Amino acid sequence: MSPKLQKKFEEIVERFVELKDTSELMMDLAYSSLLLNSKKLAEDVQELEEHVDKLHTDFELLVLSSGFKPEEAKSFLGLIRLGVVTEKIADAAAEIAEVVLRGIKPHPVLKLAIEEAEETVTYVQVTENSMFVDKTLREVHIPEETGMWVLAIRRRGKYIRPKPHTKIESGDVLIASGYAEGEEDLKKLASP
Amino acid sequence: MPHLGKIEYKPISVRELFLEMKNLSELMIDLAYSAALFNDKELAEDVLELENRVDTLTYLLEMEIMIATRDPDDAEALAGVSKVASAADKISDAAADIAAIVTQNIGVHPLISEVFEKVEERLTRAKVSKASILVDKQIGELDLAARMGVDIIAIRRNKDWIINPKDTEPIKIDDVLIARGAPSGVKEFKALAEGKLRKLED
Repeated sequence: MSPKLQKKFEEIVERFVELKDTSELMMDLAYSSLLLNSKKLAEDVQELEEHVDKLHTDFELLVLSSGFKPEEAKSFLGLIRLGVVTEKIADAAAEIAEVVLRGIKPHPVLKLAIEEAEETVTYVQVTENSMFVDKTLREVHIPEETGMWVLAIRRRGKYIRPKPHTKIESGDVLIASGYAEGEEDLKKLASP
Repeated sequence: MPHLGKIEYKPISVRELFLEMKNLSELMIDLAYSAALFNDKELAEDVLELENRVDTLTYLLEMEIMIATRDPDDAEALAGVSKVASAADKISDAAADIAAIVTQNIGVHPLISEVFEKVEERLTRAKVSKASILVDKQIGELDLAARMGVDIIAIRRNKDWIINPKDTEPIKIDDVLIARGAPSGVKEFKALAEGKLRKLED
């Protein structure tokens, strides 16, 4: 493979991973916003929706301008389809968030589902002196230490889908859910 | 084509339905992307099977709403739940569309898979053989994450799916394990499950 082509493919994959991670994160956050009845989380999903539209357009333009040969058309069609479907997932996630934003009226059927959910969502900023800084999520054992589960990381205006090897940086905002007791523990560790 | 049968009403709480839909959607989408990007037909077929299950859940959710709606107040409170059911359906359709890229032999460029493999963890499915040392072990005691950077994200046991299995879940013969991790770890894990590798290394 020519270095130029290799670079092009790397760029396509990079954009696609961002698109895919964002839509998966949206889905995760949308369901969490519903289960925790959190309008703030639902707003994050809506914000991400706009971002996905832009990512999707960039991805399509990149694929279409990659100068593929006619015999390669099919495998590039596969990529275009992946993009389209990924955007659909993001749309569906935004629809779930919309239900939360419109307000959920109390009803017996929803009682246990939403109103009485004992878990909360918390947003905690990681300060410079935190033991989390420069460690991966796998290393810091947040669920074991605090009972809180990191749903997303907000870094310089971007949302990151947490993976075990994701490194935490100073200034990150951890978006986490769990029982209220864990909130204080998490705050103590993140911003001592 | 999957067999389409009547869906019988079962009383399940809305919370449980939402939770299961969330877990199923996540699993389906993970499986679907991995199927498409690594041209894995078996994973694609799992996705189509899970789609069937999401369909059942959305029917059950709609039934819960129908039974509970008696007046305009009920309708106002529950219309949103119906919207969630339709969104869940869209997500599972989307996952099936991704899987169709493999099943319809469209595929993605092989070089994409190659590059993708370097940046992303991959999923694998492995059937547990009689000879495997994993048999009758609990997931937690295997310490797969520390040993080889692999996590078991689902188990398919006969027709049932156990999503995000607990540490105490034992592994049984003929289980199909879906695991995620770095390529080398995933390869080792598959060999362990299939009984080709008989030793757990630290």
